[in-house]
Amino acid sequence: MNKKRIGAIIVAVVALIILNSSLFTIDETEQGIVIQMGRYVRTVKEPGLHVKVPFFQNVQKYEDRILEYDAAAARVLTKDKKHLVVDNYARWRIKDPLKFYQTVRNVSGAISRIDDIVFSELRGELALHSLSEIISMRREEIMEKVAQKSERKAQQFGIEIVDVRIKRADLPKEVAHSVYERMRAERERIAKKYRSEGEEAAVKIRAQTDKERTVILAEAYKKAEQIKGEGDAKAIKIYAAAFQTDPRFYEFMRSLEAYKKTIDKNTVIVLPPDMEFLKHLRMGE
Amino acid sequence: MSRRVRYYLLGIVVFIWLVTGIYIVHPGEEGVVRRFGKKVTSHGPGIHYHLPWPVERVDRPKVEEIKRIEIGFRTIYPGPPARYRPILEESLMLTGDENIVDCWAIVQYRIKDASAYLFNVKDVEQTLKDACEVALRQVVGNHTIDDVMIAARFKVEEETRQVLQRIMDGYESGVLITAVKLQEVHPPEQVRDAFDNVVRAKEDKDKIINQAKGYYEDVIPKARGKAERLIAEAEAYREQRIKRAEGDAGKFLLVLREYRKAKSLTEKRLYLETMEQILPGIQKYIVGTEKSGLLNILQMKQNLTTLPKAVKGEEK
Repeated sequence: MNKKRIGAIIVAVVALIILNSSLFTIDETEQGIVIQMGRYVRTVKEPGLHVKVPFFQNVQKYEDRILEYDAAAARVLTKDKKHLVVDNYARWRIKDPLKFYQTVRNVSGAISRIDDIVFSELRGELALHSLSEIISMRREEIMEKVAQKSERKAQQFGIEIVDVRIKRADLPKEVAHSVYERMRAERERIAKKYRSEGEEAAVKIRAQTDKERTVILAEAYKKAEQIKGEGDAKAIKIYAAAFQTDPRFYEFMRSLEAYKKTIDKNTVIVLPPDMEFLKHLRMGE
Repeated sequence: MSRRVRYYLLGIVVFIWLVTGIYIVHPGEEGVVRRFGKKVTSHGPGIHYHLPWPVERVDRPKVEEIKRIEIGFRTIYPGPPARYRPILEESLMLTGDENIVDCWAIVQYRIKDASAYLFNVKDVEQTLKDACEVALRQVVGNHTIDDVMIAARFKVEEETRQVLQRIMDGYESGVLITAVKLQEVHPPEQVRDAFDNVVRAKEDKDKIINQAKGYYEDVIPKARGKAERLIAEAEAYREQRIKRAEGDAGKFLLVLREYRKAKSLTEKRLYLETMEQILPGIQKYIVGTEKSGLLNILQMKQNLTTLPKAVKGEEK
């Protein structure tokens, strides 16, 4: 009874060990290769529960997710002979676990290969472009090219380069200084431009103002003179109409009036004795 | 008896094992179940059950939580008032016109596909952080410094969001970029005063233009007023002239009517009256009709100019 039970337990334990050795799981995040005595048997990419020959075969699991590679910032020379400090990264994944197993074995081995490949490709490609191309419009295009070329070279290691990107592309410190100088000069120019634009606009407005004022006053003068003329004309007409009824009398009246106005205390007048006014003075002679 | 106890114990152990499969998905989470490493299902919030370890496992990423990444600075004290630490190597970047700008931004994101988020990228956070810098620098590199600082901020934000989303979709990372917001965008410390000067110049421009406009507002109404006055004066003059003419004419006609009734008498009277009015107070000389008369006058005139004023009166 007791022996039987011990026997049963041993059988159960052995069965468990065999089962454990013949079953393995591959996670969604993993892939693996089955190796038999150092020889490759098959690749397992499908996640789930899998079977292998116990003891003789073992499984080497690899990451199936996208992995990181972050290069140290490095100086590169652009086509227009400018230095640029480039900090790039790449994202990669193990595409062919067998080749990967055969060539680089593990992630750190892979990273040093990627480092070589990507950096040389990047340096080569950046040397074909000017600084302005690298920092602006064509950056994505350039990176695309670097990624493709790197990808081709990385294939032999079972590695897929998903992308290569420039995280930072900055000017070296000593160049940055001259950039600041240029920026300063540019701002000074802009400030001057604003001030003289203001001046320009102000002068225009003032000139326009003066012009408008002159025109307004001239118009007013014109109108005023017209109105005055109307008044004068009408007055002349009225006078003429009235005085024409007896021009002689008008002349007489008007002369008398004129005498009154023109002769004052400072006037010296010489009266001839035969003057009408003195007629009666003479009578006594 | 002891056998029964053992069965009980076994039963309890099995029961406990089975109970470990109960799990709660909290609101905002998604429960992703893997059986032997393979994804089988996912659940929304609530109480659920999965086969216990080692058969199934569950991950519960917070799919509705919006997380944020800071570029160019870190919040060291959320405040208020908030305090930030600048990180220059992140924040200083080249613009399209080869200027350098100091740019702070935040990126907000959430998980849009829990399975993709869990299974496709090893370190999503770090990947996203790197991609943020890539996207921001790429977009800033496509714009001029003035666009980035003022004119096209929204455009920069939107383009960065798009580039970032495209990069993250390229990794099938299951991340949705909900917003990219530029925070502080300054010129670098070294040239800030020059930029401030531009701002001042702009204000000066507005000021000087406003002054000129003020001149306009001042001068033109005054000129219009003056014009109105000129015209009013002219009108007054016209009316005056006409009225006076009418008055004069009326008076003349009235006088004329009476004059016609006794022409020579009136003429004489008017003449005498006028003489009476003008002759008093003035110097008069009555000269004889002889030939010498004219000479006398001339002499007298000469005398007059030499004679002192006091004497003149007696000569009458």
